[in-house]
Amino acid sequence: MINLIVLAISAIMFALLVVWWRWPAFRAWIEAPKYSMLHQERRFVNRNATDAVAGSTRFMANKDY
Amino acid sequence: MASLMDAIIVCKWLLQSTSLIRAHIFASLATLLISVLFGLLVATKFNFPEFLGGHAWLTWGRLRYNHTQGIFFGWLGNAFLAFFYYAVPRLADRPVLSRRLGWILFCIWNFAVVLPGWVLVAAGFSQPLEWAEFPLVVDAFVVLAFILMVFEFVLPFLRTRLSDLYVSAWYIIGGIIFTMLAYPVGNFVPELVPGAQGAAFSGLWIHDAVGLFVTPFAVAIAYYVIPATTRRAIFSHFLSMVGFWLLFFIYPLNGTHHYVYSAIPMAAQKGAIVASAYLGMAVILVVTNLLLSLRGSSGTVARDVPLRFVWFGAVSYLLVSLQGSVQALMPVNRFIHFSDWVIGHSHLAMIGFASFIALGGIAHLWQRIPGTRYNERTMNWSFWLLAAGLTLMIADLTMAGLVEAQVWDSSAPWIDSVRSVANYWLVRTFSGLPVLAGFVMFWISLVSGPAVSAETAFAASREVSENIPIFDGDSSISHEPSFASRLSYAHVVAFGAGAGFFALSFLVLAILPGKELADEIKRAAPVTMPTLTASEQRGRVIYGREGCAYCHTEQIRFLGADVRRFGAPTEAWETKYDYPQLWGTRRIGPDLSREFNLHPQDWHLTHLFNPRLVVLDSVMPPYPWLFDGSPSRPTREGLDVLAYLQSLGRARELSGFDRQAMASSATSGTSDMAMASEPLARATPPTVPIAMTGGYSLSAPVLHPAADPNDSQEEVSRGGILFAENCSSCHGPAGKGDGKASTSLLPKPANLTAARFSDERLSSVLWNGIPGSSMPPWRQLATEDLRALVAYIQSLSVPSASSKSQETATLDQGKAFFAVYCGSCHGYGGAGNGPAAGALAPPPTNFHLKRPTEEKAWEVLENGVPGTAMPPWKSQLSEDQRHALVEFVCSLYGTPPETSQQ
Repeated sequence: MINLIVLAISAIMFALLVVWWRWPAFRAWIEAPKYSMLHQERRFVNRNATDAVAGSTRFMANKDY
Repeated sequence: MASLMDAIIVCKWLLQSTSLIRAHIFASLATLLISVLFGLLVATKFNFPEFLGGHAWLTWGRLRYNHTQGIFFGWLGNAFLAFFYYAVPRLADRPVLSRRLGWILFCIWNFAVVLPGWVLVAAGFSQPLEWAEFPLVVDAFVVLAFILMVFEFVLPFLRTRLSDLYVSAWYIIGGIIFTMLAYPVGNFVPELVPGAQGAAFSGLWIHDAVGLFVTPFAVAIAYYVIPATTRRAIFSHFLSMVGFWLLFFIYPLNGTHHYVYSAIPMAAQKGAIVASAYLGMAVILVVTNLLLSLRGSSGTVARDVPLRFVWFGAVSYLLVSLQGSVQALMPVNRFIHFSDWVIGHSHLAMIGFASFIALGGIAHLWQRIPGTRYNERTMNWSFWLLAAGLTLMIADLTMAGLVEAQVWDSSAPWIDSVRSVANYWLVRTFSGLPVLAGFVMFWISLVSGPAVSAETAFAASREVSENIPIFDGDSSISHEPSFASRLSYAHVVAFGAGAGFFALSFLVLAILPGKELADEIKRAAPVTMPTLTASEQRGRVIYGREGCAYCHTEQIRFLGADVRRFGAPTEAWETKYDYPQLWGTRRIGPDLSREFNLHPQDWHLTHLFNPRLVVLDSVMPPYPWLFDGSPSRPTREGLDVLAYLQSLGRARELSGFDRQAMASSATSGTSDMAMASEPLARATPPTVPIAMTGGYSLSAPVLHPAADPNDSQEEVSRGGILFAENCSSCHGPAGKGDGKASTSLLPKPANLTAARFSDERLSSVLWNGIPGSSMPPWRQLATEDLRALVAYIQSLSVPSASSKSQETATLDQGKAFFAVYCGSCHGYGGAGNGPAAGALAPPPTNFHLKRPTEEKAWEVLENGVPGTAMPPWKSQLSEDQRHALVEFVCSLYGTPPETSQQ
């Protein structure tokens, strides 16, 4: 059991490190979400802000806010 | 264009969904305050066990169940759901599945799970399993809710086909999937799989509840709030993913560390210990990544209270995980397990880590909802009140745990551990007040202060996004498979992670050990093993309902300290009829695995009616609803609990294994590790357990009080203090047998002023107790203390008129009558060794070691001794005969039995 856990975790870690080291595209790919998350947030904000500042009837009529 | 349309749809939905967010936030705060109040009541009862004690709905056990389940489902569940409604549309770039489904989910979560769960538990319908206390009918709705969560929150990710899934989304998907699968395993399977095998499944869920429901969602919030507030991307998404995979791989393998030194196969225990150590390393990685994401933002952490909540939570996460890794190690676990140390650990996890991050998440999103109110000043107060209260609570509980562990490891009476930590419990209760005040202030922060305008809310978020560094690759959302498309279906991988690791942990921690246990039970169980009677089975249900298993374990570990105190370690076969297992994870009172023959019926009933009648400083709650107004009038439920208590350890006792083992005494001195590892050592308690009675230890040491008058006086004084602490509840403050408990005990406690006892007699009784009476063995006391008690009790005896010179003729007559009427029980020479004596409990008096006063001897001859085999002789013997018998009996004291038998 212990051997299984140690081996499995070591294998996962080793595989990740090798991929990270040998494959630059992987680095780019795996780091991308931390930027896209903020971009997505900005898109939401812009859309909502436009509606709100313009006094959109849809927005104002929404009692949930 | 399509992307813009999607964004519009999502924005519309987000606007509409805000009421759901609000609903969940207010539900979370309401249930939080109620749960914390439950917790405060529970804490108060440690020092004032009678507080609200007369009503079943407000008893300690039921409040304790509702405290933890309220925090788990009511507070954290609602808080996480609120966060999902805010974050999932942003992370998935599309709305959650359905607003209507959202309201159905809200109603199920709060009106089919939390509220009915509380009411049912309070009414006595519950499941005595850690983190699974709500009854099965409620569990069914929990599973349904998780299935709905898959549709509501996971489906949007599957539909979007995002090529780059942010780490928070991974945690949300993995956590929902895993919990949906693990919850029924932890809640339903122990009802179907008995004892040790069921415990393997329970262990799985105990840890998964915290590790795969609470942790992933809290970490998801932290990973969301930090970049959104600092306006910078996190330090490394690669490290966050490594942390995700390690967490989901390792956390499920930790479960069995709740049962170290138990009957669960050692391979599973050691596997869990290694996994616990790895988990600490994984958390170091996760928290390092979180804290590095805050580098250069110390000013923001200081200014922005929600971010400060998250920062505090991340640091607590590191501390509690490292603490968890250390306390799983056998040398530490053997010492602190079952103690308040673990309670401190769980509060650090649930408040310091999960609640702080959830509060940070709520406060963060609240500021971004137009129309809400937000009071930064009270929010700041909330943070400091919570931080101060929690720090005091954790420090106090940790110290209390160390004190308890130290006492348990010694030979001191169990009640000494309760006395030792009474002040710590008081401090813990007071530490809960600032925590409650902090939560109240948090709520006030959300309903007071200036209203958040739409411009303010959106501006806050926009500022966040303006400084995003543009990644030199494709930073837009890809809705179609593109580069590295083989790896791009991240949502599918995350989905698989939850399901796959669930299956792995299920196999490794539950199925394989369960199979091994089944084989062991088949091999080791006696051919005829008694099952529980209907009454005992009903009593077991009541025992579970009242939360008894949360203070009394039914699991003697393979540890010298446990075995010395309670008896042979609990083996898997002993639990083969236990549905569900009641091993327990905490000890306030002693383990009850060997209760069979330990205490008589009237002691139990008195103890259940009001524990302080027989154990002066007990903190056990009273259970008056099991009686019709008096301990001598138990209801059927009271009798059922009594029957169950007296059945504990019966199978083991009847098996005869322990008597054989003690006869050989082969493994005394075996180390704890070896005991747990070696099957041969398992059945062999190395010493006579403190708690055992019934003639196991006939060779009690004879304790002679000090001969020197000065020393003797000091000894008597100390004995008086010990007597007041340990004996007065039954024997009365002056030793006249008129203590509070005496009205309901049969035979009544001895009037110690009405007899003279020899050193041998008192030593034997203190060492072994008196079988068939409520007198327990006290050999856990230090020898000096026992000697002091002997001195004090001897000082109580009133000089008897029988010391006058006795006529030989009367003595001869008395001897002849004694042989005819009393010899069959008391022995023909009065040594308590007649032919019938072996079958009597309590055993007949040995008059060579105990001399009653003449008045007492007359009283006993006339009325007998209720609750013993001694009958009244008033109607059968003349006054002269009785007089002769009294004279004879009182003449025997101090003479050797051989002489009297001649």
